[in-house]
Amino acid sequence: MKVTGMQVFWMIFIMDVGMTLIMTLTPSLQAAKQDVWISILVAGCIILFATLLVTNAALLHPDQTLIQLSQTVLGKWIGKVVVVVYLVQWYTILPIVLRQFIDVVHILILPATPKAAIMLIMLLLIGYATYSGGIVSIARCSEVLGPIIILMVILVVVASINHADLKYLLPVYADSGMMNIVKGALPPASYLGHSVEYLMLASFLYQPRKGAPYAFWGVIAATFFVLIAMLMATVSIGTNLAPKMWYPFFEMSRKISLFGFIENFDPLTIVIWVASVFIKLAIYLFITSYGTAQFLNIKNWKTLIFFIAPVVMAFAYFPQNVSEATANYLLNYWVPYALPINMIGLPLLLLIVGKIRMAKN
Amino acid sequence: MTLSRIWVGCLTLIACLGFLTGCWDRTEMDDLALVMASGLDLSEDGRVEITLQIALPTGIPSALQSGGKAAKPVLVVSAKGKDSIDALDRLQQQLSRRINLGHRGIIVVGEKYARRGFDQVLDTLLRSPESRYNSYIVTAYGTTAKKILEAPYLMEIIPSIGINKLQYSDFSLSVKTDKFIDALASFGKSPVTGAIKIMKQGAGQQTYIIDKAAVYKRNKLVGFLSGKELKAFRLVAGRSRDMKLTTQMEPPKKEYKGTVTIRLLKATPKIRTEIKNGNPEVSVSLNALGSILSNDTSMDMSKVIPLVEKKFAADLQEEITKTISHTQKKFKSDIFGFGNRIHIEHPYAWKKMKEDWDELYPKASVQVKTVMVLERVGRTQAPAHQQKK
Repeated sequence: MKVTGMQVFWMIFIMDVGMTLIMTLTPSLQAAKQDVWISILVAGCIILFATLLVTNAALLHPDQTLIQLSQTVLGKWIGKVVVVVYLVQWYTILPIVLRQFIDVVHILILPATPKAAIMLIMLLLIGYATYSGGIVSIARCSEVLGPIIILMVILVVVASINHADLKYLLPVYADSGMMNIVKGALPPASYLGHSVEYLMLASFLYQPRKGAPYAFWGVIAATFFVLIAMLMATVSIGTNLAPKMWYPFFEMSRKISLFGFIENFDPLTIVIWVASVFIKLAIYLFITSYGTAQFLNIKNWKTLIFFIAPVVMAFAYFPQNVSEATANYLLNYWVPYALPINMIGLPLLLLIVGKIRMAKN
Repeated sequence: MTLSRIWVGCLTLIACLGFLTGCWDRTEMDDLALVMASGLDLSEDGRVEITLQIALPTGIPSALQSGGKAAKPVLVVSAKGKDSIDALDRLQQQLSRRINLGHRGIIVVGEKYARRGFDQVLDTLLRSPESRYNSYIVTAYGTTAKKILEAPYLMEIIPSIGINKLQYSDFSLSVKTDKFIDALASFGKSPVTGAIKIMKQGAGQQTYIIDKAAVYKRNKLVGFLSGKELKAFRLVAGRSRDMKLTTQMEPPKKEYKGTVTIRLLKATPKIRTEIKNGNPEVSVSLNALGSILSNDTSMDMSKVIPLVEKKFAADLQEEITKTISHTQKKFKSDIFGFGNRIHIEHPYAWKKMKEDWDELYPKASVQVKTVMVLERVGRTQAPAHQQKK
């Protein structure tokens, strides 16, 4: 299984952009109000730093995945503990993303369709994509879907221009202040922080040593599109209403009305959403099954798909309602734990210990 | 591999066919009652009365079979309930087709209900998945929403399309639901809507007229702006498309009335605010560009342009000042959004002010400056039909 640098770019871009656009806008808006764009820039900086750590850590042993890498660098036992921390992240994000996907579909388009039907079809799809070619088929899918997603985001943003009222961006800074801007930066930062998965993907590159720029550009492109989309959502819906909505980006596309006959663009955002959720879930399914297999020394990682998929489906039923799935997970696990530990702390630890060991040798 | 693979393939295919279509949410066109407009009223016993105007596809004559006696194109039903959903449920029991709000273009609020405040319905407007922001909200004046929706309108097949087009072309004032709710949710601005009533046009014919603006204070209707006040409001709000203004240039004589009418080509309002000793001061300036439409005086328009410009500017200044003080004294409602302007220009002072803005606004001092430039005068100079002395 080998992927190209361009494919890594698209994978990181899609993982970052779709979910951040749709899931993290509201908490950021609630904290930073009209200064949400500053929050995104701050989030972008945090994530570029995380990517710097991750790409350098991957360079320590370019031919190893995170599972092997942490055990080579930190020794067998501490390494295993670190791996478990990441496995917790992956095993929890899978059902949550699946659940969020269902919630969005439920709230916005198919209120009467049973959860199981929507879940099954998505699970079958990601299961098939992962089983048939592993990371290669997912990478090729993202190469196809990535440009479509960009096109759709641009379309939605451009079509909303006639609703834009730049006054909503004023006054800058006075209403929120530094603390709130940083607070607003954390949710998008934690969702943009999927560049951590580069540690798993890097070893599949044809040239693992040259992968870093692609990861950086993936993050930069994702931040850029999240930035313009959030700006547009703020100025078109306004700071009075947007913080009260679950999915402001969707609502913005529902508001679109051009020339009196082009109305209700929400199918476009559904395309962005479904495509990015598909790629994200598929990558996580691959990483989780491949990682677990390596961790437990199971030879054929593909058999684990059949184990993980039903578990994911069962866990997706856990959250009682939309606010548990969307807000609680994000604000109680992802932001306070996953962001500082999994995305910054542990890569930093790997990097420092790895460098010290290298210097000793 | 072969047999099990075929099995898996078949199962996947069946699952795709079953699930991908989202059949649980399938709705056929002929199972839908497409609501074109809905009306909200307060009934005598204090409950909500919802009126729906539903399009009847069979009643809409197609291009081919025009002529002949067409069936009624719309069905108007109404029901009372504790809240809007309760009323909608009661309506659903009368209807053989499922109520679909996805195409609702107009929401009419009866005057009585508007005066009491209709928040209990507002939330439903945005919460349901099929509700749209793009529907216009209008207030009925002197009548109920039910009467408005029951009235026939000859110009369009479906009457509410008529209201929709009146609003879309923005001849007087049009406000969409999201803007209305946005103003309600903000501290520094009060909502307004267009105000609609039915006009009798003789011989049993009726039309709608939207010639007033309904002024709300928070969620309650407090009054209406009409005529010159409405124009003044639209000018300050920057929504003066295609507006005509008339002024008295000369005292009326036997031969002529002495009026000049212009069409506004462009009007740019500018609102600045200042805080002096903790008191807000607002200055409104308006730069207008006009073109003369009619001249019912003896004056030669090529010579007196500066004079006419000054007269119009003075008129506008007076009107705008009057209207603003009207909203301050009578309505106590900041429909111009001066509060939002203070928020932008003096964010830190606004933090202390915003909770009490409703009380502060009537006391704020407002200066109005207007400049009028007449760019075009039309094809003639003096009125062509008058005998030259």
